[in-house]
Amino acid sequence: MSVYALETEALGVSFGRFRAVDGVSLKVAKGELRVLLGANGAGKTTLMDLISGRTRSTSGRVLLNGRDVTNLREYRIARAGIGRKFQIPSIFTGLTVRQNIEVAQSRYPGVFSNLRIGRSAADRARVEEVIDLVGLSDQMKTEAGTLSHGQIQWLELGMLMIQSPDVILLDEPTAGMTQAETGKTAAIINRLKGNHTMLVVEHDMAFVRDIAEKITVLHLGRVLAEGTVAEIESDAAVRAAYLGSQEISAC
Amino acid sequence: MFDTLFIGLSLSSILLLVALGLAVTYGAMGIINMAHGEMVMIGAYVAVLSNIWLGTNLLLTIPLAFLVTAALGYGLERLVVRRLYGRLLDTLLATWGIAILLQQAIRLEFGLSFFGIHVEGLGSGLQNVPVPQFLQGTLGLFGLQLNSYRVFIVLVTLVLAGLTWFTLYRTPLGMKVRAIIRNPQMAAACGIDVKATNAITFALGSGLAGVAGVLMAGFRSVSPDMGATMVVDGFMVVVTGGVGSLLGTMAAAGILGEINALVAIFFNEIAGRASVLLVVILVILLRPAGLFSFKGR
Amino acid sequence: MTSLLTNYRIWAYLLFFAVLLALPLTGDDFWLNRVAKYLCFGMLGAAIALTWGYAGVLNLGQGLFFGLGAYAMAMPLKLASYTSLQQGSDQPVPDFMLWNAQPGASTDLCCITPGSWLWIPFQSQWFGVAMAIIAPVIVATLLGRLIFGQRISGVFVSIITLALVLLARLLLVDAQPLTNGFNGLTDLGYFNLFGTELDPYAVTTYYVITIALIVVLVLARLLVATRAGTVLQATRDSQTRALYLGYDVPAYQTFFFAVSAAISGLAGMLYVVVAEFASPSFLDLTFSVSMVVWAAVGGRGSILGACIGAILINVLEARASETEALVEAWKAIVGLVFVLVVIWLPQGLGGFAHDMMRRLTGRRRPESLKQEVRQ
Repeated sequence: MSVYALETEALGVSFGRFRAVDGVSLKVAKGELRVLLGANGAGKTTLMDLISGRTRSTSGRVLLNGRDVTNLREYRIARAGIGRKFQIPSIFTGLTVRQNIEVAQSRYPGVFSNLRIGRSAADRARVEEVIDLVGLSDQMKTEAGTLSHGQIQWLELGMLMIQSPDVILLDEPTAGMTQAETGKTAAIINRLKGNHTMLVVEHDMAFVRDIAEKITVLHLGRVLAEGTVAEIESDAAVRAAYLGSQEISAC
Repeated sequence: MFDTLFIGLSLSSILLLVALGLAVTYGAMGIINMAHGEMVMIGAYVAVLSNIWLGTNLLLTIPLAFLVTAALGYGLERLVVRRLYGRLLDTLLATWGIAILLQQAIRLEFGLSFFGIHVEGLGSGLQNVPVPQFLQGTLGLFGLQLNSYRVFIVLVTLVLAGLTWFTLYRTPLGMKVRAIIRNPQMAAACGIDVKATNAITFALGSGLAGVAGVLMAGFRSVSPDMGATMVVDGFMVVVTGGVGSLLGTMAAAGILGEINALVAIFFNEIAGRASVLLVVILVILLRPAGLFSFKGR
Repeated sequence: MTSLLTNYRIWAYLLFFAVLLALPLTGDDFWLNRVAKYLCFGMLGAAIALTWGYAGVLNLGQGLFFGLGAYAMAMPLKLASYTSLQQGSDQPVPDFMLWNAQPGASTDLCCITPGSWLWIPFQSQWFGVAMAIIAPVIVATLLGRLIFGQRISGVFVSIITLALVLLARLLLVDAQPLTNGFNGLTDLGYFNLFGTELDPYAVTTYYVITIALIVVLVLARLLVATRAGTVLQATRDSQTRALYLGYDVPAYQTFFFAVSAAISGLAGMLYVVVAEFASPSFLDLTFSVSMVVWAAVGGRGSILGACIGAILINVLEARASETEALVEAWKAIVGLVFVLVVIWLPQGLGGFAHDMMRRLTGRRRPESLKQEVRQ
């Protein structure tokens, strides 16, 4: 029996009587890129919160490479190998682009092991390589808080790249981006494909077609359908769900 | 036992008076106004000055103090607080600085002492205000002799709490304030002028503090630094009670006042104050939203 | 470019150290003694900046750690003073304990009053020195684990520290038989440093404090330059992001909180050596807030800036207090400057100087550091 990179078993959480996520079982294979689709409120971000430890689940399990990481503290889940990119980009605004990437290169995250000044030549080279990959070499010494919206998104992607977790959760990576920026983001994500397992939440269908392999559609906290882009687009249940509710596209 | 409880009740009512205004500004604007204690102090000085210069009695200065401190609060919001929107810690610090300025303004008699002019009623010394005749002495209630003035304070507190409740829950302004407490962005999206409402909220909160000051002038001496400890006490209540519920604030004031009184009886006064601080620390650690809060997720 | 940047910073430190070391040439003993006290306050400014500017944690009760260090030092010095031998034996017992003792109680340190045995190990002044650092560190670590472990942040942390220093002050004053309550510990002996008695007005004492300050500043600056220091700043900017990168954020916050406490304890200990007393006023809320004012004006994000801010404000205050009329006016001026700095110059004068240097070397100021996101 092969072990999936990321697996959820009947994962769910209720806030009072509201079931935000209701028994979602997902199996994402190693190196796969899975897109999570669904209308606003379908539970996509909440599902990511559950997997990454931001919200405590009330039922079900999360397995990372077969290891049960359900409800561990976020930093432990991160160390176990799950990385996350947020809808609202969160980077270190007071640090330079370079420092942001350096902090993300967190192989030894303990306090005492970091009581040293400077990093090895190999580490420094890798930092510069990643900054180059996301196209921010010119901004290496710029304070991250002054970057444009698109640049902040790429910085965050760069931080994920250097963190190099086994599983990457991307929450609307193109939110607020122009056409050109979206294209560049697709290129970066395609580059990550294969080496990392990714779970991507998105609204922009053009972008999704660009990067998707398999899609899982969520509706009202449950899995509605799973399949390739073509299969999903022709699925009657998906059509009913989308035609029935207002679709809000990314603007 | 009952007289211990009554002392607790009167302590609670004083706490509540100070905390009411704080609770509203903290709830609506999320800010910690360290100058609130000084608003109380200013209210007390209004009582002192009008007693000396206008010959008015304590009760008549209540509306006057309300107006003075409300105006001061309004000015403070527009000049200082507004510029620090979103910077919570900085608001705490800036208002602390304002508190120092207000204290020194009284001590230096608004700068007049520099020129050798002394205004009676101002300066660093202690001032006192006489309590009106009919409020002196004790009242016979429930078979006990209770200090009339303390009973008066409890009554006024209840009236003020009632007025605050009425303003919050039965007026359009109050509805706007409650909307802002629940969700400021949504309130703005619904067309509520959040800035203007906040300024009025802040003014009202400060006005309440001014009234508290007048009442306090009746039973303790007035000095420029009387406000410093009060804002801390006030925040203890606000933080314990949590945001969004007037009853919560009242309950918190009640709880803290009673704990203080009870512990003080069984041990000593210092233990009483210490236990209140301990309770507050525990509440922040275990339930940072407060005991009675129901702000949105 | 980078070398030019670090260059001016290093020069600033070196210039400051040079001024401090050369100061004894300018003044009399009395003046030097005062400056030595302000150097201790300088350490406090640096300690505040360490947690506030770098970790985003505003400690409104730093006086707690200062006080712990002060009393830890004052106890052995009290026992070493002639006032502790008045009862006749050669085993010292502090005079206030004799005054507060129950009639008929033994006059031994172990048993004269409940808890007085706590004083026994303080017969050794080096124990006092050790405790002056260790006690604040232990308290800070425990507090840190509790507070940061519960993911408390922002304003709530400040309120807890405020409540704690108030609570500690109450307890300190209440334990009159043990601590002499309001009066504090006075009539202290001199500290004996490897054979030299540290007279508070001697140049040697001044130099001991100066060296201590220099060491603290250098170590603190190096500490924030480490990778851990960068991570700490990252936790200030985005706790979430740091957590999701695998960093145990509470551990970082607690560590630096403890370092800051250690510095404050050291400051307290040295203060007692020059001021010759320890008092509950060290735990006054206004004193703790003053430290924040010094750091705000000097530059909350700059270890050196906050230190200089603390020293300068106190020196100016000393000058102002020489004129009767200016004393109260001075407090108003400081209050006004504080408000203006908080609103318009959040990085303080140190940050302003930093900006000027950046402009001269062709760099831009981050808008980001002026904002704090509403939690």
